[in-house]
Amino acid sequence: MNEVPQQLTLDEWDARYAALLSAGMREPGYGGPLRRHVIVDGDLRLGTLRFDNSPAALRLWNFLLSEEDRLHEARAAGRKIVGTMKDLGTVPVMAYSLPNVVAFYPDGAWWIPCVMQLRDGLFGIANSLGIDESFCPVRAMLGAFVTGAHFPVPDLLTCSVGATCDDFSAIAQRLAGLGYPIVWWEMPARREADFGERAVCLPGGLLVPREQVGFVKSELERVKEAVEDLAGAKLDPAALLAGIKAANEVRRRLAELRRLVFTARLCPLPALEMLIAEMLAIHFCSDRDETIAVLQELIVEVRKRIAAGQGLLSRDAVRVFWVNPVADLRVMNLLEECGGRVCGTDYMFCHALDEIPEDLPPMEALARMALADPMVGSAGERAERICRDVRLFNAEALVVSRIPGASHCATEGEIIRERVRVELGIPTLEIEVPPVCDAMLPTLRSRLDALIETARERRRLAGALICPTGPMGPTCPTGPSCPTNQSTGEATGVPTDRE
Amino acid sequence: MIFAGIDAGSRAIKVALWDARKKEILASGILDQGIEQEALARRLFENVLAEAKVTRDHVLKIVATGYGRNVVGFADTTITEITCHAYGVRHLVHDAMTIIEIGGQDSKLIRLNPKGAVQDFAMNDRCAAGTGCFLEMVSRRLGVGLAALGELAARSRKPAAISSMCAVFAETEIVGLLATGTLPEDIVAGVQAAIATRVTAMAGHTVTPPVVFTGGVAMIPGMAVALQNTLKCPVVTSPQPQFTGAIGAAILASRK
Amino acid sequence: MTTIVYSCPFVPAEWIAAHGVRPMRILPHAIGGAQPVGAAIGVCPYARAFVNEVCSASGGDRLATGLTADAVVVTTTCDQMRRTAERIAAAGCLPVFLMHVPTTWQTVTAQKIYISELKRLGRFLVRLGGQAPAKGKLADVMREQDSARAALRAARGHLSARQFSAALADFHRTGRTDCQSVLPQTGCQPVPLALVGGPLLPQHFDIFDRIEAAGGQVVLDATESGERTLPAPFDRRALNDDPFLTLADAYFGSIPDAFRRPNTMLYTWLKRELAAHGVRGIIFRHYVWCDTWRAEAQRMKEWAGLPLLLIEAGDEETINGHAASRIQSFLEMLK
Repeated sequence: MNEVPQQLTLDEWDARYAALLSAGMREPGYGGPLRRHVIVDGDLRLGTLRFDNSPAALRLWNFLLSEEDRLHEARAAGRKIVGTMKDLGTVPVMAYSLPNVVAFYPDGAWWIPCVMQLRDGLFGIANSLGIDESFCPVRAMLGAFVTGAHFPVPDLLTCSVGATCDDFSAIAQRLAGLGYPIVWWEMPARREADFGERAVCLPGGLLVPREQVGFVKSELERVKEAVEDLAGAKLDPAALLAGIKAANEVRRRLAELRRLVFTARLCPLPALEMLIAEMLAIHFCSDRDETIAVLQELIVEVRKRIAAGQGLLSRDAVRVFWVNPVADLRVMNLLEECGGRVCGTDYMFCHALDEIPEDLPPMEALARMALADPMVGSAGERAERICRDVRLFNAEALVVSRIPGASHCATEGEIIRERVRVELGIPTLEIEVPPVCDAMLPTLRSRLDALIETARERRRLAGALICPTGPMGPTCPTGPSCPTNQSTGEATGVPTDRE
Repeated sequence: MIFAGIDAGSRAIKVALWDARKKEILASGILDQGIEQEALARRLFENVLAEAKVTRDHVLKIVATGYGRNVVGFADTTITEITCHAYGVRHLVHDAMTIIEIGGQDSKLIRLNPKGAVQDFAMNDRCAAGTGCFLEMVSRRLGVGLAALGELAARSRKPAAISSMCAVFAETEIVGLLATGTLPEDIVAGVQAAIATRVTAMAGHTVTPPVVFTGGVAMIPGMAVALQNTLKCPVVTSPQPQFTGAIGAAILASRK
Repeated sequence: MTTIVYSCPFVPAEWIAAHGVRPMRILPHAIGGAQPVGAAIGVCPYARAFVNEVCSASGGDRLATGLTADAVVVTTTCDQMRRTAERIAAAGCLPVFLMHVPTTWQTVTAQKIYISELKRLGRFLVRLGGQAPAKGKLADVMREQDSARAALRAARGHLSARQFSAALADFHRTGRTDCQSVLPQTGCQPVPLALVGGPLLPQHFDIFDRIEAAGGQVVLDATESGERTLPAPFDRRALNDDPFLTLADAYFGSIPDAFRRPNTMLYTWLKRELAAHGVRGIIFRHYVWCDTWRAEAQRMKEWAGLPLLLIEAGDEETINGHAASRIQSFLEMLK
């Protein structure tokens, strides 16, 4: 059987799936051909995407696309469901530390209109509630609650507000107005410590006043009480610490996957699968243990490809750092069609990729982690981390993807691009990606093409060898520290092959 | 007892003469809008008077409505097009409860109470993407007359998704769709669906039938179907859709 | 005297004044041109006007009002305004203090955050040359402001809606409470209306004139520039005991707004005030790209049981023809 890494259409995956089954592929209970999601769930967008051809990627997609089934099974089994809104990786850690509780991220409904190519009718429902297209596509979540056709209505809803996102806050308030009670919790705007204030260090390196961490901790204590009431059980520090450690298992694997993929000489895993994989950090796709298994399998596959010198994309694919998740998954394929590859990302939840401290009291650790959310501070701070990661992954260009209607996108893109231009001098591009971008594809393609051309021209002018293939040349601007020239495949704190 | 209504719209001026005793329209006329709006309105008014074989002295009162109503200096008073369309449509469709009016530059949704008075309304006048202007752009781009758009859209099997809120950006999308070989019928159907979506978003949860469609865009085949598909209820196109504003203004002129 | 400029009603003027610093709560004037924030998709016209006015400094930090300012306080009551802090800081024109005003309001933590932020603001004012106030001084300033607001409220009955809004704006900016104008007598009974929404730019005050010309009258100004955001009168006994906590409680605990979570306080307040003023229709006004208020329009329409007119405001210099038509249609409908 052909094991050369490549991207397949859905039709090609039908044939591949049959071949894999014949060759003895074993799948988890949620496995199966990708096609079934189109037939059964109406996920029409899959017909326009290109997928990695590995069994690991198949597992990833099936895991993502079967989340609603898992939630319904959890409900049927009497498990409690917590909807953790506007919460990029905090409350789920608590929830999964309790028995018989499942957490999920209702905001993720924002992809339903894309995946179902607008056949879901969710935007129409949001429109009828006065939440029109001037709002972020996460407004689809309102429709999902009203129809009940996707996820079961959670037993408890939590939502962070404050220095978060006006769009989402307004949409959540509208939801509350429809009769869905919400436990609101406050996230203060992250700031530096004043002279004389005691400061603490957050994961990721930011320093904030001790007092702010205290406030967030108080709020998380309140949320914890609500989750405990739901679960009918107390969450003791030992159990929470175990939950944190399990969450860190996910985070470590993601960090390793990112390191492997973004620094590899040849791209071993496409941008689309990497986007989906990163999203697992937020709420573990409603199954924390399975998330670990899915990520591990991806790591094994990636390592195998790297060791074999295999990649999916052109040797001279331009290394692009991507900022903000896209409302239409198709765009991740588009970047690669234009000659780019994603080497570095900030999908608005970098803090959920850093490990939660295990040497602090658990609630303190969670509070510090929550306060490290890039969206809670200034765009300048976000830009700093982006610049750091651009250097780390040796990206040659940057794309800021605006989310239509999202309030933060109005101003932060310019700030981020300016900082990157000034500090790093690489070309930047800002695009807006609607939930179904078919009509915009030529425009988006032109812009991405132009960015790729610009980056390639920079390479040529710098006199570098075609990068990042081959050994380091005398004119390579990065030099020995270039991560693409380091040997890859060494794990750091992550188990090696489990084959 | 003759009364006149003048609808000075953004694209065309319409005049209607109303016989309050017979309760019927005596005559009506339409002229493209231009720079000297008052002069154009006066000329049209005189033409319509001549057609009805009456003179200015026979007309007891004139009400002007529409975008340019304040420019019609010879009108006795002005009333907004919301109220005028309500009266005009109710005269022509006696049981209308919801009115959708799409003109060249704006669109409106008007709810009536059982007595026919305006109960509530919503307007889109900031964005051309929900108006006739959008259809004109598509017509231009595809090289198809406005009258042929409906027939073209009816052939569509897969309407294109037009996502932009703004008509200018939407034009970019249409160029893109053409470049990728999207069938013209799918583009037209997509545009009509986008207009219908924007208009029906003004409706909130529900509309009360009968829903009557009026305004210049109601004369473009296919739009009523697009509205019907989005609203999921029957939509009736008003008789004389271009004149409902002027007719309503004339009827209102006859009221004390 | 050191002057602090701000626009948010949750910043207590008393606290600033008690530090010996002049508080100047402004309604920004929209300034043409593109510096430092141009008109762009997604940028709220109000936030843009605020940044551009504050940064229109040219030697001496003169604002469009003609007064000088030494620092700016920006709050987190909305994303757009929160992010102006970074813009202003980047422009380097004035020191900026970003004050977190909690969105939640019913919890002890939210109250603690607000109090902590007030204290932090106090330290900022001291660094600018102010002096931490003694309890007695704060109490005196609070009584003075409270009395001034009471005088303004009392004057409401003989001022037109525009005059009252202008008086409030003047009071917030300068501390003056001259309310000499008398409500002109009108022949016919106007339709009593409420105006609901965020803040008005000064050039948009003509909305009151348009409403009156169409036969309406704003009897309840529930915009951020209107009476909605006046803090409740101070509890005089509590003021004597603990002026600081009384101040925090009045500002944080009594001003209803759409951004709060939950925003039930706004609807409770509106229910009471709409009934008290005999309102027959609501004009709901929001800026293009304001998510917080835009999201309330449909809900308020369903909740109010009154006719509601939606007006979207952009960068226009004055109320545009479309909005004027809508107002006229609305009054025709109500009359």
